Amino acid sequence: MAAIALLQLQGVSRRLAGRTIVEDVTLSLDRGCVLGLLGVNGAGKSTTLRMIAGILAPSAGKVLFDGRDFGEEPVLARRLGYLPETPPLYAELRVDEYLHFCARLRGMRGNASTKAVDHVIERCGLGEMRRRLCGNLSKGFAQRAGIAQAIVHDPDLIVLDEPASGLDPVQAASIRTLIGELGRERAVILSTHLLHDVTACCSRVAILHRGRLRHDGALADLAAAQGSDLEAAFFRIAGADDAQAAA
Amino acid sequence: MIRVIARNEWRRLFAQPLAWALLAAVLAVLAYFFLLALQGFLGLSAKLAGMASAPGATDLVALPLLRAIASVLLLVVPLLGMRALAGERQSGTLAVLQSSGAGSTRIVLGKFAALCGFFIVLIALALAMPASLAIGTHPDWGRLGAGAFGLLWFAAALTGIAIAASSYTRQPVVAAGLALALNLVLWMLDAGARHEGVSSAFINYLALPTHLEPFLHGIVASVDIVYFVLIAALALTLAVRRLNAERVRG
Repeated sequence: MAAIALLQLQGVSRRLAGRTIVEDVTLSLDRGCVLGLLGVNGAGKSTTLRMIAGILAPSAGKVLFDGRDFGEEPVLARRLGYLPETPPLYAELRVDEYLHFCARLRGMRGNASTKAVDHVIERCGLGEMRRRLCGNLSKGFAQRAGIAQAIVHDPDLIVLDEPASGLDPVQAASIRTLIGELGRERAVILSTHLLHDVTACCSRVAILHRGRLRHDGALADLAAAQGSDLEAAFFRIAGADDAQAAA
Repeated sequence: MIRVIARNEWRRLFAQPLAWALLAAVLAVLAYFFLLALQGFLGLSAKLAGMASAPGATDLVALPLLRAIASVLLLVVPLLGMRALAGERQSGTLAVLQSSGAGSTRIVLGKFAALCGFFIVLIALALAMPASLAIGTHPDWGRLGAGAFGLLWFAAALTGIAIAASSYTRQPVVAAGLALALNLVLWMLDAGARHEGVSSAFINYLALPTHLEPFLHGIVASVDIVYFVLIAALALTLAVRRLNAERVRG
């Protein structure tokens, strides 16, 4: 590959309160790719995503965006959208007010911000909710407003922490379709512990277990190399260690 | 970017009942206080008329009110500032600000600007009361102006303290308690030391009233402004450092 990948993680580790949460993760991601970060609870998915979003600094290694470091050029963060585990909504603001704020916070002004908000409200199916208070949204709509917040400024890289958690099957399916669309022209990285999320909308899968990257490759390769499906591979990785730990 | 954050903060402040309730309660208490002082002054006015160089309405009505505003600010600023960062941390919305590339300094300054704006409104509304004395007498505008100017710097210093306290915790109530404790210590430091027989120029310099009183007596001195600016700057620097450390420490 001639060009530098949009997102590069180089030997990234993170310790929190004396425990190693993420260890030596190396990854790269380019536009047009949806990467599913799969792992059991506590595997280090959220911590990895928080480092990519620039909220946590890695203890070791580097997170590079377009070959440059966030720590040195914070303005790069405007090209990134991040949805944390719980949608970060201001309960007392209306959905449209909130999204306007998010757009302006990322440097959009006046007309551009109004257009972007209208577009994202339509795209995320928030039309009926735009004048509701964020605090009064149901779980599904809150999640959508959270995703809207992450994509309103048309970022190059979208980081979603468990975007489909707590949604009913219909809502989850519509979110997956949305993510698939977003992944056509942008780079998307999402974390999940649901295998179905990965098979439904990701083109690549990375399996994180106990803070280490245990697998990284296209979905199709996984089946070919391991001679089995994603589920079997995931259980082999996650299950083997647990058996070891138990012994 | 500071403006965007400040405007959002301002909008959120007035979208919630706390700011309105505090504003109403504070003004009601101050109005009661003002009317009592006015009544006292009117009762005394016959005696005062006979005295040479008697204290006027500014001394007997406006000055106590300005002192009352200062005492009320000691309590109200922590209550309003407690959520600035702690509340955002608790609700998870701090992530939006942190991942936006705005940087800790702009986040803290935006919040500071919005809260200061609120206290400017509060002080202006409260000062409408002594200003209304102009209907019946001639208030000393110079002294009132100096007092108002001093109260603004005072409020800015307290706001800085509240934001710093808010940056160290995720529980707004803890932040309010911490800020209130700091305010009270700075408020009573000198009086307490004197009570114990300790008279130190340094302790005297540290105390808030040492620097507020001159303003209330119509003396605008740069030393006092510098003191309030130093307190606010120190507090805001601590808040910025705390936010930056969060990236590293987690």
